[in-house]
Order: sequence, then structure tokens, then C-alpha cells
Amino acid sequence: MTPLALTLHTVEHAVVLRLSGELDHHTAPLVLEKLKTITLVRDRPFILDLDQLTFCDSSGIAALIAARNHAIAATTTLALVAVPHVVSRTFRLTGLDRILDAYPTVEAAAQAGGSVPS
Amino acid sequence: MMSARGQEAGSPTPGEGGGERALFSALLEDSAEDLYENAPCGYLSTLLDGQIAKINNTLLGWLGYTRDELVGLRTFSDLLTVGGRLYHETHFAPLLMMQGEVGGVALELRTAAGERLPVLVTSTIKYGADRQPQLIRTTIFDASDRRAYEQELLRARQEADRERDRLQRLVATLQHSLLPSSLPEVDGLQSAAYYHIASRDEVGGDFYDLFPLSRERWGFFLGDVCGKGAAAAAVTSLIRYTLRAAAVYDPDPVTVLETLNTVMQHEYRGDDPRYCTAIFGILTRDGDGFTIDLAGGGHPPCLLLRADGTADFQHTPNGMLIGMLSPAVFTATTIRLAPGDTLLLYTDGLIEARTTGALNAEVDDDRYGDEALHAFARALAPTTAQQAVAALADLLRGFGAGLDDDTALLALHVPVTERPAERGAP
Repeated sequence: MTPLALTLHTVEHAVVLRLSGELDHHTAPLVLEKLKTITLVRDRPFILDLDQLTFCDSSGIAALIAARNHAIAATTTLALVAVPHVVSRTFRLTGLDRILDAYPTVEAAAQAGGSVPS
Repeated sequence: MMSARGQEAGSPTPGEGGGERALFSALLEDSAEDLYENAPCGYLSTLLDGQIAKINNTLLGWLGYTRDELVGLRTFSDLLTVGGRLYHETHFAPLLMMQGEVGGVALELRTAAGERLPVLVTSTIKYGADRQPQLIRTTIFDASDRRAYEQELLRARQEADRERDRLQRLVATLQHSLLPSSLPEVDGLQSAAYYHIASRDEVGGDFYDLFPLSRERWGFFLGDVCGKGAAAAAVTSLIRYTLRAAAVYDPDPVTVLETLNTVMQHEYRGDDPRYCTAIFGILTRDGDGFTIDLAGGGHPPCLLLRADGTADFQHTPNGMLIGMLSPAVFTATTIRLAPGDTLLLYTDGLIEARTTGALNAEVDDDRYGDEALHAFARALAPTTAQQAVAALADLLRGFGAGLDDDTALLALHVPVTERPAERGAP
């Protein structure tokens, strides 16, 4: 199993969590644990940087929805950045691409984010 | 060895403080004889036939015999328990003759009072000047404490094994309760299913079913709950009963999935949201085949393997992950299953299996994938439900450790009959 690495940083006013590796039923609990430690506030968008994500299964999708719910609870937005081709199919299949905005770069997401979720 | 140490101790070191040292050595080991007799281990010398020639006080004390009862009268194997004697004759003695020494073997002695004494035995052969073996020297260590510890470890391990067996039985039973024990007989339809269990310790979240709604109509579904374990099993149970009940109430696949979406949203709100992907279908008898109304929620598309040898994915586009949003969007599609056609449903364990083995995670795109599955289906068509499921079960087995997720398969097939007119609608 490729472990999943999680790194948290800020870009402009956005909180960015970078996921590197595979997001599956082994590693999804790591994301859920990490979310508990991340405090989000209104007008500071939450961004998941998926550039180094190599796999995402249904448990991974559930973890991403948990991140979205975490953002909604803090009245801010969740945006995805650099969705890799290998996982975009799963995102389309589950309808995740219709409830989460995706951007090519962290900077683009940070500029756009923070508004009320549609 | 012991006689050599005895001699060293017996020769005081000359020089400064020599008198003190001599006194000290004398206090420690005043003679080789005393060291031999009262050493903290048992010493035993036997002739090559095992007859006891010499034995120290320590061992006599442990055994509760006098020297006269043993020397010249008994053999070493007489001192062993029946099991120990057998091991001694078949393993220990031959190995000793071959190697000249055998060390650290656990045996049990039987004392004069009939009690068992666990010991660790080491033997060496003493050779004469002519290189011929003369006698066997044996040291014996009391291993009661060690044996008690080992037995405690063994007991704990047996207990853990029993617990694991119990858990695995429970998991297997629970898994079976979540799947139909057999698929119902549907006139003019052949069905087959397969479930690959990834873990014997954790209940998987895949599910499927085929059930009658009326004389001419059947419902079926196949899906996957996000997550595993007891919590996922509870969700699976809820999903099964909801889908079956919803289909009785209104057999429109989109409505059925909407109902499930609503139930999951109500049941799992707050901190523990639950989702599933599923395909739900209604089979309606239609001349010599069946019409199938399908709706999917976030699930990989099923495959239609036709009588003419073609095979294609049957998409139900825009179907959302079930339980994610309220209201959710599901779309329906209608296909016809003609004689010779086979519809194949599967869960994502199949397309997400690693083809290069679980250990090789360095390769980026080593998942089986839908293109490979499409090619596999094309090669398989035309086929039957049993053949398709058997071929895919073989494929799954071939993934070995690369398949670490549960995988469910369900195939529906209309057999080609010689007189299809008889199978017409009433």
C-alpha cells in the first residue's frame, strides 16, 4: 500500500491540505482524523490539493465529502485543485464533480474561493 | 570443561596479593569435585549404551534417587517420561552419535516420586586417543520456570486463535446474512452471482439481490457501501431492505434510488454520514427476452455481452453517490436482454484491482481498469451467466494480493431456446 501523506499550509488566506498518495479504505481514516484538527473560519476557503493523488476509491470519496461538510459547517467553501486524470473518472461517476468546484492551481482556487457554496 | 575450570581454580596466581586470591579461589571453588557434585545444574556421564556411570548430587537431589539406585543399574532414557524416551531414542541419540554433540533440547525427567521435571539437556561425546567414542557427558538444566512461561504463552496463543476463529465465523455468518443464499429461479432467465471476500476479519460492504415483484417482473440490484466492518454491514442491511420494499411500493428504478437516498440521509446524518453506490434494475418479461429498466447511483456501468459477440458498457449517466445530497439526481436507461445476451454487474473491486501485485505500488497505473474489463467482456461474448461469472471469478483469483477490496458479481442471461415462441407473453 502506498501511504498517504497529508501536509497542511496556507496560501494567501486559504487553508490548503495536500494529499499525496492513495486515498482508499486504508488511508481515508487518516484524512478524517486530520480534518478534526483543522479549524476553518468563514471567508477563508478550504482547498484540497490533489496534484499528487494517485488513487481514490469509494471510501476516499466519502472522506472528500467529509471535508466538504467540514467546510460547510464553518460557512466557507471547499475547492479541489489539480484533480488527476486517474481519479476524475471516479469523481464524475459519483457526481462529486457536480458538488465541488475544481481549479487548475491553488492560487486560482484561493482567488475564487470563500464565497457562499452554490 | 568443568574439570579444566577446576584445575584453574586450584592453581593460585602468584605475585602481589597472591595469598588473598588463593583464599578467595578456595572459598569459591575449593575443589573440582565439589563444583561437580554441587553445581547449579545436573551432570551425568553415561556409557555409549546409555547406562549411567556417574551422576552428581544436584541431579540426584532433583530426581529423589540415591546414587546406588542409578549407577550401573539404570540408563539415561529410564529417567525420561515416555514421550521424552521416544524422542531420545528417535532423535536425540542418533543426532548425538552423528554430530558428537546435541544442545539445548527440552525433555522431561520423571522423578522417583513420579513427578515430571522439565529440563534442557546438552550432551557431548568424549572420544579416546584412538578417536573412538568412550562415553557421553550430559548437563541438565532445570527448565520448570521456562516451561511454565512457555505454557502460558501457548495458552494465550490458543486463546487468541480461538477468538480469531470465533470472529471469522461471526464475520462469515454476517456476510452470508447480507447476501441471498441462492438466487430465485426465473423462468426464461439464467442468473449467477459471486462474492469475493477480501478480509476474513472484516465484513465487506458489497451487496446484490434478485427478487420477484410479480409473475412477470423481478427486481435486482448490486452495490457497494463506502467503508467496511460492522458499521458498513448495518448500512448494507438497511439498503437491502429499503431497496426491496421501495420496489414493491413503486417499481420505477429512479424512484427506488431516490427513496434509498432519502432513507440514508435520514438515518446517517451528522458526524457519521454513509454513502453507497448501486445499480437497481427491473426485469419485465418481453416476448422471448426481457426489458430492463436501470438506474445507477455513482456506480460503475454494467456490461451487456450480446449474442452477436459484441459487448458494451450500459451507462446510467449523472447518477450521484447515494446518500450524498438531498435531493439527489438519478437517471434511468432501458435496455433489452434478448436470447443469448448477458448483463453483467460488478463492484469497483474488479476494476480497481492491482494487476502487478499489491507489493508493487510504484507503478502509477497498475489498476485493472474499465478498458481491460471491456476487452475481457468482448473476448467472452457471447456467453452465459454461469460462464461469465466463472471467467471473472478466475480473473479475480488471478489478481491474488492485488485484489484487496470485496468484489461482487451478478450476471443475468437469457438462454437461447429452440422454440422461443413458447416463451411469449401470456
